[in-house]
Amino acid sequence: MLEIGGAQVWRGQTHVLHGIDLAVAEGEIVALIGANGAGKTTVLMTICGLLRPRQGAVRYRAAGSSEPVDLARLTPEAIVGQGIALCPEGRQVFASLSVRENLMIGAYLRRDRAAIAADLDHVVSRFPILGERARQPAGSLSGGEQMMLAIGRSLMSRPRLLLLDEPSLGLAPQIVEAIFDILSDINEAGTTMLLVEQNASMALELAHRAYVMETGRVTLSGRAQDLADNPEIRRAYLGAA
Amino acid sequence: MTGTTRGWLLAAGLTALGAAAVWAATASLNNYLLTLIAFAGINVMLAVSLSLSNGLTGLFSLGHPAFMMVGGYIAAILTFPANRKGFMLPDLPEWLAAQQWPLLPALLVGGAVAGLAAIMAGFPVLRLRGHYLAVATLGLIFILRAVVNNLDGYTRGALGLSGIPKLTDLWWVYAWVVITLFVCWRIKHSSLGRTMMAMRENEMAAACMGVPLARTRLMAFAIGAVFAGIAGGLWAHLVTNLTPTSLGVFLAFQLVVMVVLGGQGSLAGAALAAIGLSAIANLLRPVEQSTGIYGMTQIVVALVLIGVLIFRPQGLFGSREPGVLMRRPESSAPSRTAASTQTTHLEQRGST
Amino acid sequence: MTSYLLQQIVNGLILGSMYALVAIGFSMIYGIVRLINFAHGDIAMIGAFTALAVMIVAGLPLPVVILAVLVVGAAMGLAIEFVAFRPLRGAPQVNGFITSLAVSILIQNVAILLLTAEPRGVAFPAFLSERIPGLPINIDLVDILIVVLAVALMLGLVTIVNRTRLGMAMRATAENLDVARLMGINVSRTIMAAFAIGSALAGIAGLMWSARYGQIDPIMGFLPGLKAFVAAVIGGVGSIPGAMLGGYLLGLAEVLFVGLLPPEYAGYRDAFVFGTLILVLLVLPNGLMGRAAEDRA
Repeated sequence: MLEIGGAQVWRGQTHVLHGIDLAVAEGEIVALIGANGAGKTTVLMTICGLLRPRQGAVRYRAAGSSEPVDLARLTPEAIVGQGIALCPEGRQVFASLSVRENLMIGAYLRRDRAAIAADLDHVVSRFPILGERARQPAGSLSGGEQMMLAIGRSLMSRPRLLLLDEPSLGLAPQIVEAIFDILSDINEAGTTMLLVEQNASMALELAHRAYVMETGRVTLSGRAQDLADNPEIRRAYLGAA
Repeated sequence: MTGTTRGWLLAAGLTALGAAAVWAATASLNNYLLTLIAFAGINVMLAVSLSLSNGLTGLFSLGHPAFMMVGGYIAAILTFPANRKGFMLPDLPEWLAAQQWPLLPALLVGGAVAGLAAIMAGFPVLRLRGHYLAVATLGLIFILRAVVNNLDGYTRGALGLSGIPKLTDLWWVYAWVVITLFVCWRIKHSSLGRTMMAMRENEMAAACMGVPLARTRLMAFAIGAVFAGIAGGLWAHLVTNLTPTSLGVFLAFQLVVMVVLGGQGSLAGAALAAIGLSAIANLLRPVEQSTGIYGMTQIVVALVLIGVLIFRPQGLFGSREPGVLMRRPESSAPSRTAASTQTTHLEQRGST
Repeated sequence: MTSYLLQQIVNGLILGSMYALVAIGFSMIYGIVRLINFAHGDIAMIGAFTALAVMIVAGLPLPVVILAVLVVGAAMGLAIEFVAFRPLRGAPQVNGFITSLAVSILIQNVAILLLTAEPRGVAFPAFLSERIPGLPINIDLVDILIVVLAVALMLGLVTIVNRTRLGMAMRATAENLDVARLMGINVSRTIMAAFAIGSALAGIAGLMWSARYGQIDPIMGFLPGLKAFVAAVIGGVGSIPGAMLGGYLLGLAEVLFVGLLPPEYAGYRDAFVFGTLILVLLVLPNGLMGRAAEDRA
């Protein structure tokens, strides 16, 4: 459903992505792993329209349409309307808005009140803590709770493709486990995911396929299980001796 | 011939050339034109000294007219004919009322007091940044205006001080323009100047390199104010009257426009912009008078500024000085700084 | 003495109402685009002249005048945003506020050009200046209308900001512009809304100014505008409730400063306001209700 071909992306004066090829198929979880500064977040920002490739295309096939659109031509707002949601690095919930408002703002572009209410119930049933804290400002939540809120918020737009940027960042291991379990459930319910992670072992466990990035290029790709068994990957990213 | 001697020779040559021009002008032009040129010169002084704080150091001050007021009033009170002080300025203490100084010491005292005022105001105000500093320094104009208005036994209040002896002529202005340019140029290319620019680019990094932030800021502000005070004295003795509203917000704005047009921290740019803007204003004045459309100058200046900020935000020169005056390897460095200013600002905006 | 004090307090509340309405716009616009719009006070001047045109020249009734001022103020705000600020988005902050100062000077001088610098009297319907009977102090009907209208507009604004989709989008954009875009919020439209609403309120403040003081001129907006900015700083720039609180506090403080100190200090009114600004920024850089500082200290 998503296909990036030969994307060259600059951030300001810096050439970050030197021709990336990457594809995500309907229903998959694809992981993007690599060291700090490899350009993983830049890939997500390019998909969302916050950055534009100088060369190459970002093709996306929306639900029920056979013609792919080039996301590089759309504004970030329009891209959300195409069914793509980003759960940004560091959670970035709106701290001064209430938990409920944060969720509602995820559904900002939708007009179907009944369905929004149903989705709100659905998100709250998945993350009960968000229901309990609905009226509190989001800034008062703990890190793990904010992560749940950020995921819940992105689900409220009913994305077909969910982009996750470092969901494990700064969270305790048990909480990361719990969140990855929930991500797996969400995927089974039909949401495709592209997951950027530094925690490679968790990411490869969850994902179906993965890409490894180094300094702005994809250096390896394949089934997540195969990559997890690859001795080089094990040494470089999984901490095996 | 070393670079330094060449620099000195060039400076001496330019000064002599300027003096020749002033001589030619005084010999051939009428009083009206000479006065216009003197105003342009005062504007050059003001713009160049303001670019020390606003351009080089990145402290956005709108307070220059306040310091001009300080210097202007002090100098005018000192040179005012002693026989008229008694009834015009009744609250002056006797020892002061008896004085009637020549221009030079009066200007120097005016400049020094303006510098002191800047140090006093700077302690609180310079802790602010950005918009807040701009509004607070604008506030200095209104604060000073209120003080001048209310100390009417010393300043004649809202009536204004009129009949100030006309001591300023083109030679005085020219001499001070040369001094201002020389001092500011030396500062810019000294370690103090580099410290100022380092602060502008990245305050935290500069602090980590051991730059004393508060003192450097205060220095930039106070040195600028000294020249503003002297310029205010020259202005008062050129116009021969000074009221609390003669030096106000529009002047502050015009000066900022000169610095911005000239490029953040380019002294030659600021000087040229000052000359250009003064010329525009003087060319428009007769048009205003014949058409009866007053305020055209302000409108044109404002439109020019908006246009420049939209289409050429780095100003006409960036942080650079024109190549003729530099001609040394450093001359390429400032242009890079200008580019990096852009990016750091963008990053700061992104992270807010 | 008590009735004198009471009178001063009432006068302070009236002045504060106007400051608050203008301060709100400063805060809304700053909250979203991090820009102090120096031209904001001049929109109050435009509001005052709109009132003059619609009421005296066209002879329309007061509710229509109020509506016209709201619409013209909003349109002016949108025009300023579109012409002067949109092209500068992403440029250094300094450029934004120099531009806004240029816009302010532009508006003032175009107004002088079209309307001359002479102050004009604005005669409001006579019933407005009728004194409310049976009170120990002097309150006219217009005074009550000013405070009631100001409070009503502010309540309306608070409702918009806290209860509507647009308000939610504005708060989210103010907090994090990039993430707001990722939620599908059209940031440009949100910024336009902030300019339109803030400017409409400033226009109303100008209308009130002319109703209360009876005289208007093309530069009337600048100094009160700067003072309203001081009010916004007192409340904490970016906070709408803060702007309201700051407006009333500053209005009261200014009137009491003049009213309670010996008359020879009255001339220091403006100095007092800007001295307060410096003091507040030093002691309480985030104001009474502002969020953590970004670039002010």
